[in-house]
This record gives sequence, C-alpha cells and structure tokens, in this order.
Amino acid sequence: MALIDIKDLHVSVQGKDILKGISLSIEAGEVHAIMGPNGTGKSTLSNIIAGRDGYDIKSGSVTYDGQDLLAMEPDVRARAGVFLAFQYPVEIPGVSTSAFLKSAINTKRRAEGKPEIDAMEFLKLVKAKNKALGIPDDMIKRPLNVGFSGGEKKRAEVLQMTLLEPRFAVLDETDSGLDIDALKVVSDGVNALRGATRAFLVITHYQRLLNYIVPDHVHVMAGGRIVKSGGKDLAHELEAEGYAKYLAAA
Amino acid sequence: MVATGLLDHPFKEGYAARLGALPGAAHAWIDGLRQTARGILNASGLPGPKNEAWKFTPLGELSKIPFIPAATADDIDVREVPRGVPSIPGAQRVVLVNGVVNTALSDPLDALPGLRIESFKQLLVREPQTLKPFLGGIASSGALPLAALNAAYMADGLVIMTAKNFAGATLHIVSIGAAGAEPLAFHPRNIIALETGARLTVVETHIGLPGQSYLANPVTEISLADNASLRRYVSVAEDADAFHFATTSVALAAHSSFETFHLGLGGAKVRQEVRAALNGAGADCCMNGVYALTAKQHHDLTTVVEHHVPHGTSSQLVKGVVDGQSHGVFQGRIHVARDAQKTDARQLHKALFLSKGPEVDCKPELEIFADDVQCAHGAATGELDREHLFYLMARGLDRDTARALLVAGFLDEAVATISDENVRAVFSDMVNGWLKRRGV
Repeated sequence: MALIDIKDLHVSVQGKDILKGISLSIEAGEVHAIMGPNGTGKSTLSNIIAGRDGYDIKSGSVTYDGQDLLAMEPDVRARAGVFLAFQYPVEIPGVSTSAFLKSAINTKRRAEGKPEIDAMEFLKLVKAKNKALGIPDDMIKRPLNVGFSGGEKKRAEVLQMTLLEPRFAVLDETDSGLDIDALKVVSDGVNALRGATRAFLVITHYQRLLNYIVPDHVHVMAGGRIVKSGGKDLAHELEAEGYAKYLAAA
Repeated sequence: MVATGLLDHPFKEGYAARLGALPGAAHAWIDGLRQTARGILNASGLPGPKNEAWKFTPLGELSKIPFIPAATADDIDVREVPRGVPSIPGAQRVVLVNGVVNTALSDPLDALPGLRIESFKQLLVREPQTLKPFLGGIASSGALPLAALNAAYMADGLVIMTAKNFAGATLHIVSIGAAGAEPLAFHPRNIIALETGARLTVVETHIGLPGQSYLANPVTEISLADNASLRRYVSVAEDADAFHFATTSVALAAHSSFETFHLGLGGAKVRQEVRAALNGAGADCCMNGVYALTAKQHHDLTTVVEHHVPHGTSSQLVKGVVDGQSHGVFQGRIHVARDAQKTDARQLHKALFLSKGPEVDCKPELEIFADDVQCAHGAATGELDREHLFYLMARGLDRDTARALLVAGFLDEAVATISDENVRAVFSDMVNGWLKRRGV
C-alpha cells in the first residue's frame, strides 16, 4: 500500500480550476519530484496536502497511510507524520523560535505516548541539528522567522523537519533563495532523513536541487495536471529542453 | 477649563461633611487647593459622553453608586497582603489599604539612605512646605476632572523623594482596595520627586478584595530633575466590581528619563491616564502597556506626551487583547511645540479580538508645530492571523495551543520592552496567568 495516494484530485480557488485531475502514488522509502513552471498548481498541491483552507476540493481523494487525509485538521495531519516545508514561511513576532520548536516536539511526543523533552535535552538536540545545518545557535532565541534571511528561513524549515521526523514530507521550493553552499547543506539534511519508512515529495523549478536530492521518480506538472512521469533522468531532459513543449500540450 | 459633564455624582457636600477636617486644612494654600478643586467639581461634575477626553469612558454609572469616603468605613480590616500580589525580588514593599499607608504590612520606610518614603498625610501636617513645589503643580485640577476630585478629598498617599545622584532602589507599592458593607471611594495623592542624577524603580500593584464596589482615584505627580531616571511599572487587577481611575503627570527636566509600563487586567471600569511634559532638552519618555479584558470590563489607557523643547524622544507601544463584551480604549496625544525641534516621537497601538463581542476605540492625535521632527504613529485591530495559525497547526500544535502561543506572543512584544529583568518576568507571569485562566 502506498504511503500517500492521490487520486484524480480536482481543486479550484475562487471559481478557477487549479488542479485538474492529479493522481500520484508514493511508497514509503521513495523520493518523488514534481517540476514545472510557475502557476501550474504545484504549491496548491502542497497546501492541499498540509491542509490549508481556502481551497475548493471538487473531487478526488488523498489517502495517507490508509486514512482520508482531506478529512483531517492540519494539526492532526502533522501529528500523523505529514510535514510541509513552506515555500514562504511566515514571520511570527513575539513567539520565540525555541518555545515554538519545543512545543512542536512535545506535541508530537505526547501524540506518540512518549515523555516530553526536558530543557537540557532539547538544547542538546537542537544544537546538534543546528550544527549539521549550519544554523547559528542564537537563531532559535529570535522570534520565529522574524528578520531571517531567505536562506535562514529555508534552513529553519529543514531544521523543523529534522526535529519532527515526519513520515511524509513535502518540500515546496525549498531550493529557492539558497546559494550553492546552503543548497548542499540543506540537501544533506534531507538525505540524512531518507530511509525505508519515509517518503518525500520535492517540488522545484530547477533540476539543480535534484543533483543533491536524487529522486526515484520525476513528474512534470503543467496546467494543473501531471503531463509526464519518468525516472531521475527526466529532470536532466527538462533542464536541457525546458517546459515549453509541456505547456503547449497542457 | 473642564468641559462640562454635569453628571450627578455622590462626591458632594454630604460626602465632604462625612469626611470632616482633612489633614493639612490649617495651611491656607492646601485648603485653597481643595477649595478650588471642589469648585471645579461642583461646576463641571464628573465627565460624561460630551467631554471629548472622556467620550469613550463616560462616568455616568458612578452617579448611581452611594460611595462613602473610605476613611469613614470602620468595618475594614485587612491583615494580610492578598495572594495575587507578586513578590518583586530585592524590592522594598509599601502597602496602602484604601489609599492609606499601612505600616504593619509594609517594610520599614526609612531603610535606605538617600531615599525618603513618607505618608502624604504626615507630610501635609508636619512639613507641607516640602510638598509645595510639586503638589497640584504637575497635575492641575483645572484640566483634569478626576484630578480635581482627588484634590478635593486627598487625605493620604505616598511621598517618595531621593537625594541627588541616589544610585537606585526598587520600591514595590501595593495598593489594596477593600470595601466593607458599603461601596467606598479613596483618593490617594502620591508624589515622586527624583533629584538630579537619581535613579529609582517603582512597581505598583493595584489589587482588590472581593466584595462591594469601590472607587480608587489615585493621582501621582512625578518630578524628574536633570539626568534623573525613573522606571515605573504599574499593574491594575482590581476586583471585578471596582472602579479605578488613575492620573499620573510627569515633569521631565533635561536629559531625564521616564520609562513606564501599564498592565491592565482587572476592574469593572479602569482608566489609566499618563501625561508627560518634556520640559528639558534631551529628555526621554517611554510609555508602553498591555491590557487584557474579558466579560464587560472597560479599560482606557490615555496618554499625553508634550514635547516643549528640542531633542526629546518619546515612544509608546500598547497592545491589548479583548474578549467577551469588553471595551478597550487607547487615546494617545503627542504634542510637539514650535521650539521642540529634533523631536523623535513614536506611538503604536494594536488590539487583538479573541471573539466577536468586544469593542475597541483608538484615538491617536498628533499636534506638531515644529518642522524638523520625526513622528510616527500606527494603530491596528484585528483577529489572529490565519496564516500564523495555519503555520503552527501544520507543525502539529492543536488550535487552542497555537492560539495561546500566538496571543501570548502578541502581548509579549510589549512586555519584553520592560527593561527591569525581574519586573519583566513578574509581568510576563501575570499576563500568562491571565491567558491561562481565560483558557486562551
């Protein structure tokens, strides 16, 4: 059974059809990439998976681990192991990054019937993960995402993913705003999480990210549909040929 | 000139007769202050909806409550400080019950050289000339109806004075409101005078005991000499049926600094009015605050900052959360006189609605007569940001936890400006305690 199974998903926003029949099945242990030009519904798909409201789901289904994902509140999805690394993480003044991270970790621990993390253990854990992701320790003392550079926000998203250890993670253009060094660090962070029980959906414009996070499957999305699927070499083809022929077809 | 309210009210001849002779009445100038104030009170009454400065906080309901002077209630016996009063590390504590200094509950008042703490009543009788430079001169009855009510009946309060270059101490003033069988009123008059270069931190906790309604009407006059620095942190958590109208007027000399924070958490109807006059060049005034309201509470924070001379700075950050059918008011006036060049004045008020029932009125006023100044003001009211809520929920926090974190964070932005670390922690606990009790 696939970990996540999207079937013929039709979604509109304010009367405008955005997703026009997406079907995608991802097994545990796999990394799938969705590539495509702007405005084809890639972020809509990631938002639907995470449970953002404001979308009109016309038909189709999303099944996660055998459950109807679309019927679950966003927090229930997250506690069940679904994670979205946001394309544009919001800045939340007044809420310290460390208080938020601790609250998120403990929420997950409670859901799993584990004891809460204590302050010392938390600091030790975050320090170790920060080091791996090249995040300065004082970043977690600042308000959540406030004044973070584009690159810092993306690293912070990957830090959260690393701490929460989701079973299914969607990375929505995590590469945008990253220089080449940061891209490597962030990719290493993602690759360290890869494993037989975990699946990833990587959404990106550029093939570059997929040199570091090598996918098992690549899908091309255009006009609200998946118009072509293939192996990792498809990404290289797209880099060479562009999206024009798919846009014309869509 | 007080705009006429002409509301009927209980503070007339009968109230005065019941009080009898007030302390210091033998001194003509003190008696004169009281007579003038009573004249204003008789002519204008208490402010009603037609008084522009009070239109969001009219005092009509006071007319229906037969307040008696607190001093004449003989059935009040407060023997301990209520549990809700926080402990401020390292602070010397002074307790007032219904506006009267209670030595039994206070720390010794003469503990520190260079710092003088006296009962206003005793100074009025013993050496009124000490008060003359300040009393009635900083908070004038003519412009302030509640200060006039206070001046008419002022009988006790606290006088705090420092020597030159006093190096600093923390005082914790606990004001307990307690009514017996009848509703009562008290009008404490406080004076805080810092000499040149002196530093002081004053924490005020205004708290009430459950029971009949009472009216606390304190007036505090503050004089800061050159280079003096006062930090004053006030919390109001009066009883649910209590009224609290506090007027604070501050006169700042050159390069003095005044940092104040007002936390409004309780009381039926509360107004905290803070007025600062920057009279000396380079003075700095920071007036921040938080209010958190529920049920039918009414809370009004009114500030007036007057920049009279060049190079003054002032900043205000006020945040409120409102729930139930509560009513929050923020009025902030910044006046920059023609001569007050190079002034930097900032003001920001934000209110967060936790439900659909409350009301918030915000009235910023900028009067700028100088041309080389930087002034900014902003105001925003709204509900919690849905994007913020979604982000936290997408990390597994349930809606209530996410909401609580966001509301606490919203208020913490203001609380975090308190420069005294101990007080910041205490005020933060008070805010978070309120949020927890409300189930936010």
